[in-house]
Amino acid sequence: MTETLLEVRDLRVGFQTERGLLTAVDEVDFILESGKMMGLVGESGCGKSVTARALMRLLEQPSGRVLQGEVLLDGRDILTLPLAAMRKIRGKEIAMIFQEPMTALNPVHRVGRQIVENILLHQEIGKNAALKRAVELMEWVGIPAPDERINDYPHQLSGGMRQRVMIAMALSCNPRILIADEPTTALDVTVQAQILDLIKRIQKDTGMAVILITHDLAVVAETCDEVAVMYAGRIVERGPVETVFRSPLHPYTKGLMGCLPKLDHPPKTMLPIIPGMVPGLRDLPVGCRFAARCPNPHGDEVLAERQPWKECGGGHGVEACACFANTI
Amino acid sequence: MHYPVRGGVFRRARQVCKAVDGVSFALDEGETLGLVGESGCGKSTVAKSVVRLLQPTAGSIHFEGQDITRSGAGDLRRFRREMQMVFQDPAESLNSRHTIGQILEEPFVIQKLGTTTERIEWSADLLRRVGLPEDSRNRYPFEFSGGQRQRIGIARALALKPRLIVCDEPVSALDVSVQAQVLNLLLELQNDFKLAYLFIAHDLSVVQHMSDRVAVMYLGKIVELAPAGELYRNPHHAYTKALLDAIPEADPSRRRERTLLKGDVPSPINPPEGCAFGHRMRHPRWQESVGMDLRLRELAPGHWVQPCPCCVE
Repeated sequence: MTETLLEVRDLRVGFQTERGLLTAVDEVDFILESGKMMGLVGESGCGKSVTARALMRLLEQPSGRVLQGEVLLDGRDILTLPLAAMRKIRGKEIAMIFQEPMTALNPVHRVGRQIVENILLHQEIGKNAALKRAVELMEWVGIPAPDERINDYPHQLSGGMRQRVMIAMALSCNPRILIADEPTTALDVTVQAQILDLIKRIQKDTGMAVILITHDLAVVAETCDEVAVMYAGRIVERGPVETVFRSPLHPYTKGLMGCLPKLDHPPKTMLPIIPGMVPGLRDLPVGCRFAARCPNPHGDEVLAERQPWKECGGGHGVEACACFANTI
Repeated sequence: MHYPVRGGVFRRARQVCKAVDGVSFALDEGETLGLVGESGCGKSTVAKSVVRLLQPTAGSIHFEGQDITRSGAGDLRRFRREMQMVFQDPAESLNSRHTIGQILEEPFVIQKLGTTTERIEWSADLLRRVGLPEDSRNRYPFEFSGGQRQRIGIARALALKPRLIVCDEPVSALDVSVQAQVLNLLLELQNDFKLAYLFIAHDLSVVQHMSDRVAVMYLGKIVELAPAGELYRNPHHAYTKALLDAIPEADPSRRRERTLLKGDVPSPINPPEGCAFGHRMRHPRWQESVGMDLRLRELAPGHWVQPCPCCVE
């Protein structure tokens, strides 16, 4: 039995710059069900991190703001809540971990104190109890000798251990949603496997929902239940991981999957490529934003009009650009 | 390559960091040798030693049969024509105050080649060759995207028509779609100019895709060296197996239970004796590898493995 936990509707986020308003996220919709892990995947600048920050209301100030849309947590729009109420949600209901734990942790405080701080902020327990809880959390996320490590400063820990501390902090108040923004990008593959395994295990144990933001399709394929592919500020395709990886519909999703080097392919062969590069946010067409790099023949009309969203059953949906819509 | 680690009041060398320890390999014309391993395993140190940006503590580097390990500045300048390097972060390896033209002509200036007009012509050729518009000459690095900057870095490495290019993580800072373009460009150039590559990356699927042979490094040592397909199909060393097992696959139908490695890569300062990986895994037979001759042994034609009893069956 799954239920809608978080619903994002028509989210549009912009940044005020010297050269006018930049729309970084454009009409993004998705639903996160409780206990599910959703991958938000795309290349740099596609708006995946901005989407996450908008959910947490942590957009860079004063330039960034939500232009339209709703983020419903249990049916309540958290974008319109007063700041004090939002602070109660952040860290308690929705927690977030970041790519580089060294910059997210405070270098001058011991890691234990940083975990305790979060516990004391959201829970009415004493300092000693909080400290005990911090040790338990560190043990839970697989930090060896937690009662000693609790007195370490972030620089004394390795990258993988720092990410574990971040996860311990995020979990300290049993959040219902964890947003993980490129949690393993700065880590080695063997450590990445450990951290992904840890997130997955905790998700199973606690039933929390996870939004995993990454540029790495393989990470999504390995860990997530659902996937949403973003390109230039929009979600172009979304659905259950098995369906999207088995039969991708959008030419961008197909291209992205095709251009990955694979271990079982013969070495030194040419990779299929997506020509050109990710477009800048300044001169994007109203219609299909992938058209300039799309291998399918298409007319100018796909640029002029917003291409319709099409549901293809089983939760699999795609921005059905005219260049391939008749093949669905 | 050993570094002294200084400490104490008099900054005396107290410990030795064995960043790279006893690594040997050979590279043929037109061949790509991939070097893979986790951060801190010494792959970049090997790269920099090969082009003599670092002076190795012991051992030698031979280029076309000549020992270049102790060559003086003049000889080195001659050899640098033959061997060039492409770096990881094109934003940091291109001088931001120079135009692309200046960046590409600098190798000719250093080597005292050609007249001004010829240099301009050559740099325009280079830009065409790596797929950039010729009018890029008068622009600055910040005007280009990451992928284009990496193309500029490659063009600069090509300028002197080298025989060997050392590529140190050339695509790890790039987006997936751009990564494929740059990898294809490198393959094309290799074909056209009979280049040899020493190709370094932490991503085993990228290395496997680009290489004829792959060497796996762990804590300053090569633990396994084999033809690219062979290494993937038939890994012998436990570390290679662990590394392969940790790679996520972009195919949800092939999800599997992983055997997770415990702990992190240990520090190369005072590394354990014997097999470092067996030591990390606390393998019951690790003790046997202490004092053993751990030089690579050829188990099958072209397939070399560190013969420690703890990691190789």
